[in-house]
Amino acid sequence: MNIKPDLKFVKQIISAGGCSLKKCYQCATCAVVCKLSPDNKPFPRKEMINAQWGLKDKLVSDPDIWLCHQCSDCTAYCPRGAKPGEVIGAIRKLTIAHYAFPEFLAMMVGQIKYLPLLIAFPVLVLLAVLAATGHLNIPQGEIVFGHFLPHTHIDAIFLPVAIFAALVFASGVIRFWRDLQTQCSGNCGQGGLIPSLISVIIEILTHSRFNKCEVNKGRSLAHMGVLYGFIGLAITTALAVFYLYILGQHSPYPQLSPLKIIGNISGIILLVGISLIVLNRFKVKVQASIGSYFDWLFIGVIYLVVLSGLLAEVTRLAGIALLAYPIYFIHLVSVFFLFFYAPYSKLAHMVYRTIALVYAKQKERE
Amino acid sequence: MSKDILIIGGGISGITTAVEAAETGYNVTLIEKNPYLGGRVAQMNRYFPKLCPPYCGLEINIRRIKTNPRIKYFTLSSVEGIKGQEGNYEVTLRIQPRFVSQRCTACGECARVCPAERRDAFNLDLSSTKAIYLPHSLAVPYNYVIDEKACLKCGTCVDACKYGAIELEMQAETKNINVGSIVVATGWQPYDATRIDNLGFGKYKDVITNMMMERIAAPNGPTQGKILRPSDMSEPKKVAFVQCAGSRDENHLPYCSAVCCLASLKQITYLREAIPDSQAFMFYIDVRTPGKYEDFLTKVSGDEKVFLIKGKVAAVEEDTKTKELIVEAEDILAGKKIKVQVDMVVLACGMQPNNGLSMNINRDKNGFISLEQGNGIYAAGVAKKPQDVASSVQNATGTALKAIQSIVR
Repeated sequence: MNIKPDLKFVKQIISAGGCSLKKCYQCATCAVVCKLSPDNKPFPRKEMINAQWGLKDKLVSDPDIWLCHQCSDCTAYCPRGAKPGEVIGAIRKLTIAHYAFPEFLAMMVGQIKYLPLLIAFPVLVLLAVLAATGHLNIPQGEIVFGHFLPHTHIDAIFLPVAIFAALVFASGVIRFWRDLQTQCSGNCGQGGLIPSLISVIIEILTHSRFNKCEVNKGRSLAHMGVLYGFIGLAITTALAVFYLYILGQHSPYPQLSPLKIIGNISGIILLVGISLIVLNRFKVKVQASIGSYFDWLFIGVIYLVVLSGLLAEVTRLAGIALLAYPIYFIHLVSVFFLFFYAPYSKLAHMVYRTIALVYAKQKERE
Repeated sequence: MSKDILIIGGGISGITTAVEAAETGYNVTLIEKNPYLGGRVAQMNRYFPKLCPPYCGLEINIRRIKTNPRIKYFTLSSVEGIKGQEGNYEVTLRIQPRFVSQRCTACGECARVCPAERRDAFNLDLSSTKAIYLPHSLAVPYNYVIDEKACLKCGTCVDACKYGAIELEMQAETKNINVGSIVVATGWQPYDATRIDNLGFGKYKDVITNMMMERIAAPNGPTQGKILRPSDMSEPKKVAFVQCAGSRDENHLPYCSAVCCLASLKQITYLREAIPDSQAFMFYIDVRTPGKYEDFLTKVSGDEKVFLIKGKVAAVEEDTKTKELIVEAEDILAGKKIKVQVDMVVLACGMQPNNGLSMNINRDKNGFISLEQGNGIYAAGVAKKPQDVASSVQNATGTALKAIQSIVR
């Protein structure tokens, strides 16, 4: 076997949050204390040595980095402070960047110095649309967000954004799935694709894997809050489309309409979930670490989306037009940001983890 | 100015320093906090790699101490205070009462009648003794001693002693000495295995430490040298030796104690010799047997019932039904997690330097005494760094010379 060390990739892992990686001396404590690691070819010990050698091809197509939920059991018990959980997290980040297209966008999402530029893009697009349609002012009278930016314009902006994200994801997923197939040599399970997918979806909805974490127990519940918050908001969006295009009803809807109830509850669940995530990060920072910029950017965007959404609603109901419209504008910018950069940000874990879990399920890597 | 030397610690390093300095012609005071000389070595069953009993070495040194008028030694003693500088130290020693005088013939009549018991620290709490006890069967001095904390002061032993050796009124005394240089040979204690929460020590009776294994294998130990596991006193057929238990670990002792790999290999020979159909599983990160010790590794690992597995044990659990112990590790060379059912687990715990010394002394971050103090105070043996007996003895000889240089300069 001919191994070519890739120093550049080692440095990338280090700067992506895996700075402790060289401390590993391969004792394999991590692989044993990890409740999620399979018995055959367990992780994360092998990932640590692959990372030390910078074996990028092996790592980006390694399904095991997605079997890890960063419980931090490994990091807590690591005798060297090599923090395998953090290193694997950094490898996940680089994997997302590797499969994203164009790669320079992923590079920009990963570095704080590009943040103003990333924010400027949706701000300018939305301002341009507002200016072009003569809406660059605070509308008078009853607060109706549709008066500020009509739904047709919203659709004209956000539909292409969503399609863009979906296409980028599709190209990544195709390559990722192809690379995954090279991983298994010899005796691997051959489960069906659909049954595997179904059982993975059940696993995700119940967080049955995530619940096995020991050191970082609270993480699973917090993550569930975020997941169900987003699911609820997706349902809300679907309902809004239904109200608008099927029933022909325009917003604002009465507070007690199913759409508003589901939307508000989901928003609050999301807010609670993301806040628990932040609290947990501070609580376990002794064993693990507080997380990288990549993590905090995602947390920040979720906060911005949910807070601006809820505040826009509150200020609208309170009749404070001067606040309601600007906050609504911020909400639109943050949602644009969330969707457009999804394939390059931590949100992409949703897609790659699911794919990797399906593969692992097929190959019986439990 | 004084040309005498104080040696703190009566283990193999302190004894060696004392003997070497005294035989060169200097007066030496050797103090030891235990009621016997010999320290940790006295607890060992055998030395590696020759597998001879430690008393081979200790006995000759004790004889050199006893026959050399230049050496004074005090057991149950510690340093209470130090004043002065290199060449002229005023040291206050505190000598705890033994409650038994040298009239004691170690006939044992007192212990037969004593109603109180104490855990026997010499046997790592694997057994108990009476409150009046002989520290161990080869103790020097060969006198009984009373454990003040356990003693009921009932006086039964006083009546039983035919030699009038027991003095319950004996008081602690202080003693001032003037020395020119000081050698600290305070040695070590085993790392507290209860702090390693994933290896089951303190939770499962048959998870023991390497020091306990020494006592279990020793002819004067709690099982008279029969290798029996603590839970049911049966012969363990499968024993796991867990290397680096709390060593080379930032959460515990961050350093390598330098002896545990060889100690485990040595203990594997105890097991294999005593129980011919036994199997030994040694889990390691790296086997560290430097220099000529490599031959010992080759010899022990050549036994077909000895299995060396690369991968640190990170979990020891008990089967809830069968009560069998299960050790879990990743067999790195096979790339598989393995669970091995065993009858007993021996944790290879490292050495932690003793630090209850009431004097200012420079230590490194792990508590070992730094090489140069620059004031006529020197360290020898494991107080300086983790090392085996042979290295400690060489080191102690060198330290004797340093202590002498300090007073003749």
